[in-house]
Amino acid sequence: MNSLHEQIGTRPRQNRRATAEPAWLKGTLIAILFLFVAFFLILPMSTVFLEAFSKGTGVILDTFRDDATLKAIELTLIVAAIAVPLNTIFGLAAAWSIAQFRFPGRNLLLILIDLPLWVSPVIGGLIYVLLFGRQGWLGPWLSDHNIKIIFALPGIVLGTTFVTFPFVARNLIPLMETQGKAEEEAALSLGAHGWQVFWRVTLPKVKWALIYGVILCNARAMGEFGAVSVVSGHIRGQTNTMPLHVEILYNEYHFAAAFAVAALLSVLAVITLGIKTLVEWRAARQQLASQEIPPSL
Amino acid sequence: MSISIKSVSKTFGKFAALRDIGFDIQRGELLALLGPSGSGKTTLLRIIAGLEFPDDGPSVIEFDGNDVTGLSAYRRKAGFVFQHYALFQHMNVFDNIAFGLQVRPAKLRPGKEQIRERVESLLELVQLGQFINRYPSQLSGGQRQRVALARALATEPQVLLLDEPFGALDAKVRRELCVWLRKFHDETHITSLFVTHDQDEAFQLADRVVILGEGRVRQIGSPDEVKRHPKDDFVRHFLGLSEELHPGAWV
Repeated sequence: MNSLHEQIGTRPRQNRRATAEPAWLKGTLIAILFLFVAFFLILPMSTVFLEAFSKGTGVILDTFRDDATLKAIELTLIVAAIAVPLNTIFGLAAAWSIAQFRFPGRNLLLILIDLPLWVSPVIGGLIYVLLFGRQGWLGPWLSDHNIKIIFALPGIVLGTTFVTFPFVARNLIPLMETQGKAEEEAALSLGAHGWQVFWRVTLPKVKWALIYGVILCNARAMGEFGAVSVVSGHIRGQTNTMPLHVEILYNEYHFAAAFAVAALLSVLAVITLGIKTLVEWRAARQQLASQEIPPSL
Repeated sequence: MSISIKSVSKTFGKFAALRDIGFDIQRGELLALLGPSGSGKTTLLRIIAGLEFPDDGPSVIEFDGNDVTGLSAYRRKAGFVFQHYALFQHMNVFDNIAFGLQVRPAKLRPGKEQIRERVESLLELVQLGQFINRYPSQLSGGQRQRVALARALATEPQVLLLDEPFGALDAKVRRELCVWLRKFHDETHITSLFVTHDQDEAFQLADRVVILGEGRVRQIGSPDEVKRHPKDDFVRHFLGLSEELHPGAWV
């Protein structure tokens, strides 16, 4: 970007590209963008950390010694550890079948995969309550058999899985569709059977997109509030995930504690962002490395 | 290996890509499938490889007299060279060529050393020895084509199927590879079938030419036969021979 800026500044006017804007306009636009990001992203994020430390580190330490907080962290990790692999497997299967086959209902499936992005997460939670809750369709049968889904771990996993459903699949489908199936056919003609084709050809081809989708899915799974809020029942020390725990602490006027947990969530997000950047960087580097040597005859 | 194609038909939805195709390929023959685009030649090649299946009914494909119609591609193990090479982008040249050996079940898989020797001798054959660690994106079109060929030959297939093998290459490379392939075939006598829309290529390379048009076999014969005695107007027109046969027609 820097060199582009220099070029525009130093080159004689007639050499300027037709699409290049005047320098003052470019500067103003970029400044506005930075202001916007500072105001809506950086300022609130730093507030989280400032507030967390406002009462000193003692409060933070106490917060993380509290059983309810520890339980919330544990639950969040467990839920992510179940929901993310589920959606990874599903996402791969869905993307593969959609890219590989033409079948009736294919477009409908594509739309349905996107559904969780369209509806409010609260509705995502609510449908499970309507299905599995005490008054729900399957409620009586479940309580007869002593199976607890709503206000328990299974419900939270369901809600989280629903909300994070599209991330892996959405990341893979466009890539797999453009890649086509020629390499898979080549593998078949060389005597590889279905699983070998998948592990040795299909999966490596989409590796980076898959990792990227999993990271996004994980970030969303750990931070999900709406859907989980409906199905969890907010039972302290039992069914509270970290985002719910933040809300409870806040509503009980434990501001510093609330911000301490929020800060931890933010740190998780920053770590996720870091991994994501690393993945993108490595993918780009691999792409470059494989094209470095100029083709020659 | 000899191949028999018996009453093979293939329809995609309502479109009949192939209609009642039947001919034999002799052991050790180099045969060209020639026809305009849309004539069904690639479909037929893919059906022989097992990448596509013919319509139910009388369609039969035989390899050396054994019915393989229902066998999938990975059981037929025909060496297949794809039009756009379909090299594994994430593997280097070595792994691309070794792939067919490495996916064999443990009992049939050669040892590491043997695989390396085999890959190296194949690279020698296609004159790409120094490119063993390159990735496909670092190779030119002609080099990719030769890697694809080496990869298809690695498993010592009984038949080699090539889909427009020179279609995406510039004229000079195309001529060189053409000559190379004919020489290679004369040395190995591996039963080979290649698809092309270029009659010069077909006539220069093949022992016999099968001309396809609109999903039907129009004529089968040696290049000479086909050129001298085109069977019908379709063949005559496709080969651009109408003027030659009726020199006065337009005067």
